[in-house]
Amino acid sequence: MKILVCLKQVPHQDARLDIAGDGAWIKEDGIKFEINSYDAFALEEALRLKDAGVATEVIVASIGPDRVTQALRTALGMGADRAVHAKDAAFDGSDALGIARTLAAVAKGAGADAVFLGLMSDDANASAVGPMIGELLGIPSATGVVKEEKTPTGFRVERELEGGAVEVVELPAACVLAVQTGLNQVRYASLKGIMAAKKKPLDVKTAADLGLAGQVGAGAAKVKIQKIYSPPKSSGAQMLKGSTDEIVAGLVGKIKELGLL
Amino acid sequence: MTILVVGEIQKGIVREASYELIAFAKKIGGDVKGLIIGSGVGAEAENFAKKGAGHVYVADDAALANYNVDGYARAIKAAVKASGASTVLISNTPSGWDVAARVAAGLDAGFVSDAFNYADGAFVRRVFNGKLDARVVSTAALTVVSVQPGANKPFEGAADGKTERLAVDLGGLSTKFIETKVAGAKGHDLSKAEIIVSGGRGVGAPEKFKEVIQPLADALGGQMGASRPVVDAGWLPHEYQVGSSGQVVTPKLYVACGISGAIQHLVGMKGSNFIIAINKDPDAPIFEVAQLGAVGDLFEIVPKLTAAVKAAKA
Ligand SMILES: Cc1cc2nc3c(=O)[nH]c(=O)nc-3n(C[C@H](O)[C@H](O)[C@H](O)COP(=O)(O)OP(=O)(O)OC[C@H]3O[C@@H](n4cnc5c(N)ncnc54)[C@H](O)[C@@H]3O)c2cc1C
Ligand SMILES: Nc1ncnc2c1ncn2[C@@H]1O[C@H](COP(=O)(O)O)[C@@H](O)[C@H]1O
Repeated sequence: MKILVCLKQVPHQDARLDIAGDGAWIKEDGIKFEINSYDAFALEEALRLKDAGVATEVIVASIGPDRVTQALRTALGMGADRAVHAKDAAFDGSDALGIARTLAAVAKGAGADAVFLGLMSDDANASAVGPMIGELLGIPSATGVVKEEKTPTGFRVERELEGGAVEVVELPAACVLAVQTGLNQVRYASLKGIMAAKKKPLDVKTAADLGLAGQVGAGAAKVKIQKIYSPPKSSGAQMLKGSTDEIVAGLVGKIKELGLL
Repeated sequence: MTILVVGEIQKGIVREASYELIAFAKKIGGDVKGLIIGSGVGAEAENFAKKGAGHVYVADDAALANYNVDGYARAIKAAVKASGASTVLISNTPSGWDVAARVAAGLDAGFVSDAFNYADGAFVRRVFNGKLDARVVSTAALTVVSVQPGANKPFEGAADGKTERLAVDLGGLSTKFIETKVAGAKGHDLSKAEIIVSGGRGVGAPEKFKEVIQPLADALGGQMGASRPVVDAGWLPHEYQVGSSGQVVTPKLYVACGISGAIQHLVGMKGSNFIIAINKDPDAPIFEVAQLGAVGDLFEIVPKLTAAVKAAKA
């Protein structure tokens, strides 16, 4: 069984977010990027299936500019076998459907059976790409996966519901699993792994290579971000000012006033 | 223009979030129609129709008794066709986010995820885990929108409602529902705590919970809680997690330390009587739900606060 793992590179969780000149996204220059938190768990889950002899190949794929190479190299260092980098200005401005089309084409090209990816990206927060890949490939999908078990015919997974409840679902081996954080404990790339990664294949594909010319990018997008902005401040909290001691005095004063001291 | 609102049955009845969809549809403006999916849901579909959804399609089949991505997607697609809708609203719940984007891709529709508002022709949603808002516009003939539960007041009113059975081919469903497992008994029940001191990813390490967060909880005579990344990292067990996929708490006092305030955390604690937030980022969304905020390093503020609380009690 071959598994394709989709990795998005997103601004580091502690990166400063400044809005770009066009007002429609953030300024990307000068900030640190990392692998989307959910996707790291998806990769780990695929690598575990390879360690267990269930998966024969783990392929990682990412759509993005040059910087994305770093995320793919990290994944190869962790144990993925090869990487596909979809890099082309033609992908710029894609909506979730454009991203899903691209990843579905990569999955087909790689002969992947299953696709593992994150439930949600930490920047776009759409939770859309996984189910869309499933629909485009005509295979089932499950989102919010917190447990995965290989069965003779496919997978038995637990999907997270509200309040800590889960739903157990069975899917065939050809499926899309969009995983939730906490599914496993993600490994680090070892020094040996990082050295070995340098020799692993990393193929670059354009939209035309994937047969997607005209079907991706801003021109094909059906939805578009007009503007991003800091959420308008409502009344918000009363902010304590001054030295740490003054702040602490303010906090204690309030707790007393609430009758809790 | 027709807007199809997809109602969701939870524990036998149409959940409140479905009535929020009707309110959302009224914001957009248009002719509202509804859809109810399930098994033996005729009476609830009638209810939904009369309480605002108007004309309600009913996909009623034993195969739909439990949520099934394939079956639900087929039902929604059939209802879009039957209603001639140009907008479809689905609550962004665990079943909603599982099926909505699939339906959008299958119908070659525009997809807007987790919208909490509609204003001036655009959908408004959160990005970057609540740190920024985005206005999103669709240019598609059909747009599927998942709507954030709890963000809009449920529609209260009546409609000239009727229901219509929807034929859906449910042969050969690709996934199989096995069972639902409810959360196990909680060793650490936060639901009755009067005071909760929670730590987030900003606390940084498991031992810091013992050294910094727990002592403040103890000094106040309260309990310790946490955000999800803390539990995901294995620093604390799941029963400490506050939020949509953890516990929903309503203490007299909730102190959030090093928690940014993503919507899934807020859902679990915004009903607290009083909220104090301690965070080094003055723009952290947690300050929007807090009544009292302290901007600064929690490692400086919290130990001093613990000492001051102890002194006040002595
Ligand atoms: C389906 C679903 C369900 C979810 N369920 C839950 C849930 O039940 N509960 C939950 O919490 N989350 C849940 N999440 C995750 C949620 O989206 C956020 O990722 C999470 O709440 C973020 O946790 P955090 O605030 O601790 O971390 P972050 O967002 O990383 O915030 C850390 C904060 O710490 C501050 N900080 C750092 N260092 C310091 C310091 N020294 N002093 C003071 N402040 C500091 C930073 O400024 C930052 O604001 C869910 C997500 C999904 C998609
Ligand atoms: N540009 C991208 N490259 C690779 N994978 C992506 C990309 N965008 C989204 N994904 C995958 O799709 C998942 C869901 O993202 P989203 O639908 O944007 O919330 C992410 O967790 C990734 O696994």
